[in-house]
Amino acid sequence: MDHIRNFSIIAHIDHGKSTLADRLIETCGGLSQREMAEQVLDSMDLERERGITIKAQSVTLSYKARDGRVYELNIIDTPGHVDFSYEVSRSLAACEGALLVVDAAQGVEAQSVANCYTAIEQGLEVVPVLNKIDLPSAEPARVIQEIEEIIGIEAQNALRVSAKTGEGVPDLLEALLVRIPPPAGNPDGPLKALIVDSWFDNYLGVVSLIRVVDGRVTAGQRVRVMATGFSGEVGKLGIFTPKPRDRTVLETGEVGFLVAGIKDIHGAPVGDTITDDRRPAQTPLPGFKAVKPQVFAGLFPVDSADYEPFREALGKLRLNDSALQYEPENSQALGFGFRCGFLGLLHMDIVQERLEREYDLDLITSAPTVVYEVVTTGGETLRVENPADLPAANRMAEIREPIVQANMLMPPEHLGNVINLCIEKRGVQRSLQYLGRQVSLVYELPLSEVVLDFFDRLKSLSRGYASLDYHFVRFQAADLVKLDILVNGERVDALSIIVHRDQAYARGRDLCERMQEIIPRQMYEVAIQAAIGSHIVARQSVKALRKNVTAKCYGGDVTRKRKLLEKQKAGKRRMKQFGKIEIPQEAFLAVLQVGKKT
Amino acid sequence: MSAPPLSLYVHVPWCVRKCPYCDFNSHPLGPQGLPEARYLQALLEDLAEEAGEASGRALVSVFFGGGTPSLLAPATVARVLEAAGRDPGLAPGAEVTLEANPGTVDAGRLRELRAAGVDRLSLGAQSFDERLLRRIGRIHSAREAAAAVEAARSAGFENVGLDLMYGLPGQTVAGALADVQAALALEPEHLSHYQLTVEAGTAFHRHPPPLPDEEVVAEMESACRARLAEGGLARYEVSAFARPGRQCRHNLNYWTFGDYLALGPGAHGKLTRGAGGRVLRRARHARPGDYLSAGPGGRWAEVRELAAQDLVLEFFLNVLRLTEGVPQALFAERTGLPPETATGALAEARTRGLMTAEPGRLRATEAGLRFLNDLCALFLPAGAGPHPVVPREQTA
Repeated sequence: MDHIRNFSIIAHIDHGKSTLADRLIETCGGLSQREMAEQVLDSMDLERERGITIKAQSVTLSYKARDGRVYELNIIDTPGHVDFSYEVSRSLAACEGALLVVDAAQGVEAQSVANCYTAIEQGLEVVPVLNKIDLPSAEPARVIQEIEEIIGIEAQNALRVSAKTGEGVPDLLEALLVRIPPPAGNPDGPLKALIVDSWFDNYLGVVSLIRVVDGRVTAGQRVRVMATGFSGEVGKLGIFTPKPRDRTVLETGEVGFLVAGIKDIHGAPVGDTITDDRRPAQTPLPGFKAVKPQVFAGLFPVDSADYEPFREALGKLRLNDSALQYEPENSQALGFGFRCGFLGLLHMDIVQERLEREYDLDLITSAPTVVYEVVTTGGETLRVENPADLPAANRMAEIREPIVQANMLMPPEHLGNVINLCIEKRGVQRSLQYLGRQVSLVYELPLSEVVLDFFDRLKSLSRGYASLDYHFVRFQAADLVKLDILVNGERVDALSIIVHRDQAYARGRDLCERMQEIIPRQMYEVAIQAAIGSHIVARQSVKALRKNVTAKCYGGDVTRKRKLLEKQKAGKRRMKQFGKIEIPQEAFLAVLQVGKKT
Repeated sequence: MSAPPLSLYVHVPWCVRKCPYCDFNSHPLGPQGLPEARYLQALLEDLAEEAGEASGRALVSVFFGGGTPSLLAPATVARVLEAAGRDPGLAPGAEVTLEANPGTVDAGRLRELRAAGVDRLSLGAQSFDERLLRRIGRIHSAREAAAAVEAARSAGFENVGLDLMYGLPGQTVAGALADVQAALALEPEHLSHYQLTVEAGTAFHRHPPPLPDEEVVAEMESACRARLAEGGLARYEVSAFARPGRQCRHNLNYWTFGDYLALGPGAHGKLTRGAGGRVLRRARHARPGDYLSAGPGGRWAEVRELAAQDLVLEFFLNVLRLTEGVPQALFAERTGLPPETATGALAEARTRGLMTAEPGRLRATEAGLRFLNDLCALFLPAGAGPHPVVPREQTA
């Protein structure tokens, strides 16, 4: 076991985590130069395109050290975006150590701080690594000081590398052997393996990424998933190098994949424990703490016939994304769909894109919202995940909104702008500290404001330098009202939002204007109104089209006319029929773009 | 299912010059002029081939379209009509139309065409405003258009149609009405009144002219229609108006989903073959060079059989253009499909007020005619469009 090292790489987006992983793989000969696609660990198309890591991935490397021994290195990749901090703690649970990668030119960012604390809390050995030291703007000494002042860990012996050129990577490999402890565990005990990740393969069924904590698992062994009770024979066992390579056994401390013939998509959930079916362990591993979704939205198939495939697709996605929650929802405007809970807006975006790309579904998303607590006049406390479910005003004694603590780091020159933004977003300052050459700013903010457009605005007004991490602190009473949107006099439930009373008029006006821009002219005039209760606060209209007809039809040739119709129809793929009116998907997301006119 | 009426379409793909709005298959004449002998030979070969598809049906109409068919020597037209008259034969009272550019006809030529068997002339007047005629690249003057109608009358044409456009660059409602008035003064039996639309691939698309706005065009349309009705020309199709009994029979055959044979570059044909009612769509090579250099039987660019769902769409695409629509029974007669095939789309169209609820009739409402594209889209096969739905398993 003492030849095994399991570690994650913690880094902010753009600080070079994936490039460093690539370099480690290359240095250890995991892939030939020719096989090295850029950033091999980001395997989903979506991750490649967006340049971010969403799902944990692992790779097992064989490293011949300077002492002549061959070590087995398991790198478990972690996502870098604020929405996915939950995934990070999951990956870290399979490790004994973590490389904290910090851009030597940019310095520490809020996300890395949060993830680093998670690693320390989970008892991991954190090894600071300064990346991009080849850049002329690199300031290793300053960044070391920042790591010590902001995060509070010793960083004088931080490793200095350039993942791009490969400089320092061999020394990094040697250092991590020394600094990161080998796995502990009982090789003779009954099998206990943690399910770090699971995904559904159309041919194999459920595939799980596991970390063997105690005992060993062998091909052909009969295993059981402790919480769900599913059992099966291990048909396939192996490691990623990063290409999948079959093994007959995974020993204590090792990380690899396992297929046990489980076809039920709920059969092997992430965080569960796999044990031997005949000699089961007494108690399961602690697993992961359940995360609560922060943002809710309804997802509806454009074609109602897609409802069942949609349900199945959600089940498959949920298998390796336990942060995704869903339950059936019936909207007057959008029909049958699911109310889904997400970690944040990026998570929502990614789930929708995965559903559409991987499962060929066309979906409409309703306006996202946070969860509110409502105390009724009867003294009952309700959890409201959907503005449409908000009780009538005269039945509510109090509405409480979720408040988060937002930790921000930025160069001092952007402080003024960021404070103004926080004030605009109804924030309350908790602390302000100058640390090294950065300012640490802590605000309490309503989550709904953070969800809206806070992150984008923060980034743009600090020219990308400010970073953010936030977590829920409490529910707090506020003067909130429900703002409804009416189309031709009828309330569109999927467009209702809950807003602060002071902002209701401005938001109503802004939303109506935006809808007017988004809803295309059609056969009938479309009247758009914003209302609080029965009180109309804003209105706009979309003039009716005069006609939509091809004047001259070259009688003999229908192909061109047909293509025109098909093109028009394709353009309507994301339209939802609402009575006589067609409303495009963008309208349902317009609430997110308030104040950000393009 | 009895075989539908059969027409013959002959495409003449050449013009003196290409108009900047035109996206039809037309090509400006080169310095050598028309390759008329080779063209005629190809037409006659095509015709011999096509006659075999008539299955005993005589032609109810022949249409020389273009391009500018009036560039052909009348003798060429005569040769084609003679051949067609022998096989498959012309039905009694068959309509024979030739499209003509007013700048290319004179009394002598028109007499020869009339003698050759052409009994209907369709003149591309487009406008009677000299400034607009130049603006849209026409080679003739307003006076020439009027003169062409007179010449046609004196040559013995009792059936003359005019083509007129509206919504032209800088045109006003008064201007469009003046054009209609000028056309009515010439007492045509038929008038095609269509809005100028800028199509991809045309000179106007590359350099868009300033067109009147939508409200102005809508006003032109209703004012002109009222004036045409007063003048005795009743609207019977989206863009077509006629005196009683003078509707274009050739076009009516398209719009009632009849069959047609196709001769000439880029000509499209439709053929119902056999008792099983297979319907073929066929198109000739569009480029004159390709068409002329291919041998007999090899001039087809495309021949495909329509699937049931395509038949439904194409049937409605055509019949709903007619203001009176068609009898319900025509659907089964022309497509060979069970009458209930399009029930869902029809119900939706009626719910939306795009089709009338008259029993036994398939007919667009006034709104349906204005939003004909939306109406026809209801008959598109499910899943049509550029993103076919493929089960995940098959793509993996």
